[in-house]
Amino acid sequence: MTDSKTSLKPLQPTLYELAADGHSLNFFFAQCGACGGLSFPANAPGCMHCGSPLSEAQRVTRPGGGELLEFVTLHVPLLPGMAAPSIAGDIRIAPGIVEEGVMAVGDETALRHGMTVRAIVEMKPEEGVYACRFLPVNEGAAQ
Amino acid sequence: MSTTQQTTSGNWLDANGGVFIAGIGLHPYQFPTETPYTELGLTAVRAALLDSGLAWDRVQSAYVGTTSIGMAAGRVMLRHLGSTGLAVTQVENASASGSFAFRQACMEVATGMSDVVLAVGVDKHGDGRRAANKDGLERLSETAAIPAAKFAMMARTYLRERGASVEEMANVAVKNHGNAARNPFAQFRKPRTLEQVLASPRVVGDLTVQQCCPRGEGAAAVMVVSGNAIRKLGLDARRCVRVKASVAGSERPEAQYGDSAVELVRTSAQAAFDQAGIAPKELDLLELHDAFSVEELLYSEAIGVCDSGEGARYLARGDSQIGGRCAINASGGLIGMGHPLGPTGIGQLAEITRQLRGEAEGRQHPNARWGMAHMIGLGSVSVAHVLSASA
Repeated sequence: MTDSKTSLKPLQPTLYELAADGHSLNFFFAQCGACGGLSFPANAPGCMHCGSPLSEAQRVTRPGGGELLEFVTLHVPLLPGMAAPSIAGDIRIAPGIVEEGVMAVGDETALRHGMTVRAIVEMKPEEGVYACRFLPVNEGAAQ
Repeated sequence: MSTTQQTTSGNWLDANGGVFIAGIGLHPYQFPTETPYTELGLTAVRAALLDSGLAWDRVQSAYVGTTSIGMAAGRVMLRHLGSTGLAVTQVENASASGSFAFRQACMEVATGMSDVVLAVGVDKHGDGRRAANKDGLERLSETAAIPAAKFAMMARTYLRERGASVEEMANVAVKNHGNAARNPFAQFRKPRTLEQVLASPRVVGDLTVQQCCPRGEGAAAVMVVSGNAIRKLGLDARRCVRVKASVAGSERPEAQYGDSAVELVRTSAQAAFDQAGIAPKELDLLELHDAFSVEELLYSEAIGVCDSGEGARYLARGDSQIGGRCAINASGGLIGMGHPLGPTGIGQLAEITRQLRGEAEGRQHPNARWGMAHMIGLGSVSVAHVLSASA
C-alpha cells in the first residue's frame, strides 16, 4: 500500500495511514457490530471487549493518539538492530485499548504521564517506509 | 486420613492419600554452554530419584517443562534412564512451564491414575521465538511483547504511586543476590551491595542489569507421589512435603491501567490460600517471579504477605529476609538463582521442599512450616502451589 501523499509505504499498513496534513497518522479500528466497542488492530480475529468474531465489524478511521499513561527509556537495544536509547510509552489510544508506542522526543523531560500525545509520521526513505511515533500535542502544534 | 475425610475436605489434592513431593534434584543454573540438555536434565532426575529412594522403574509418568529445546525432548532424554514404557508429556507455558508440568503431575496423582510421577524442567537458552510474534497482527512498537519494557513501566508507576525510591526497589536485588550466594545451584554466587546494583548498567527505565534475571540453562526435578505410595513403597514420610494447593489462571481485562498482572497474581494466590486453608501471613516461605526487582514488591503486596503499599517497607525491615517473617526468594529468586525458564518453577518447589525439610544448609529459614511457589508466564498466565511440612 502506497499513500497518495508520499511515495513511502506505511511500515505497519494494517495499523495506520498518513493523514491529510501529511504529518499526522490516522489509526484503523474495528467497531464491533455486537457491542459497539473498538478493537485494535482492525484485523484482530475477535472483539477485545466481547469476543465477537468481528465478521460484521465496521472499519473505523480515527486520528492516532491518546493519553500517555507511562513511559521509560530503553537504554540498550532489547532486540537486534533496535535503536537505543529510545523512549517507549504506554498510550490509551481508545477506551479500553492501551498500546505501547515509540516516543518522538529525545529525552524524558518532554513527557509527563497523563499528557495527550498524537501519532506522527517518521519518514524512513532509505527503507522506503514511514513509521509511527508519538509526540506531545503541544510540541506537535509548534511545528 | 480416611477416604471419607479426604472427600469431605473439598480439596482435590487430598485424594489418593494426598499428593507429596518425595524427592528433589537440580543441575545448577548457569550461563549458556555447549552441554547437551540431556546431561542437564538427567543430572536433576537422577538426583531426585536418589533423594526420594525411588527406582526409575517405579515412575509411571513424566511431565517435562521446557520452552526452547524443541519437540519431544522428554523421551530423547529419559530413555537414557531405561525405556520402561512410562507416559511422557511435554509442557510449555513460558516462565511457568515447569510449574505447569508439576501441576499436571499433581493432577495425575490426585486422580489415582498414577502413584509416582516425575516433573522435570530443563532448558537451554533459545532464540526467544514467541507465539505473540506469529499471530498475524502488527504492533506499533517492536518492543510491545518484551517483558523488560512492560515491567520497567510498572516500576515507574509503582515508585510514583507508593512514594518509594529507586534504592528501595534495588534492595530486592541486594537481598536476592545475597541469598543466591548461599545456594550452590544458583547462577550468581556473589553478594552485591546496593551501590553495585545501582551502578550496574541501566537496561530499561530505572532497572539496572543486576535487577534483571539472567539468561541461562539448567534443570530441576521433583518426584510427585501419592500418600498411598509413601506407605506402599516404604518412602521416608518425614522427608515428604505435602502439596496443599494448586491453582492456575490467566489474565483478565484490567480495571485500571497496569493492574492486570498484579490482579492475576492476587487472585491466583488467594485461591491457593483458600484451597490450602491458610492465611497469607501464615506463610514462612515464598518463591515468586522476580524476573525484575519491582515484581517482588508488587507481588508481596498482591499475595498478601504484607499489606498493600507496604512492599518496600516490608523488605527494608528485613521481614522478607531468611529469618524474617516470610523468607521471599530464599533460593535467590530469578534475579539471583537464575531463570532458565523450563526449570524455574520446579526449582522454586525444590527450594521450598528443602526448606520445609530443614535441609537448606547455609540458608535455612527457621521453623518453616508453609511455603508458596508462585509463578507467572508470558501472556500472562499464573500458577500457585502451597506446600506444607510433614506432620
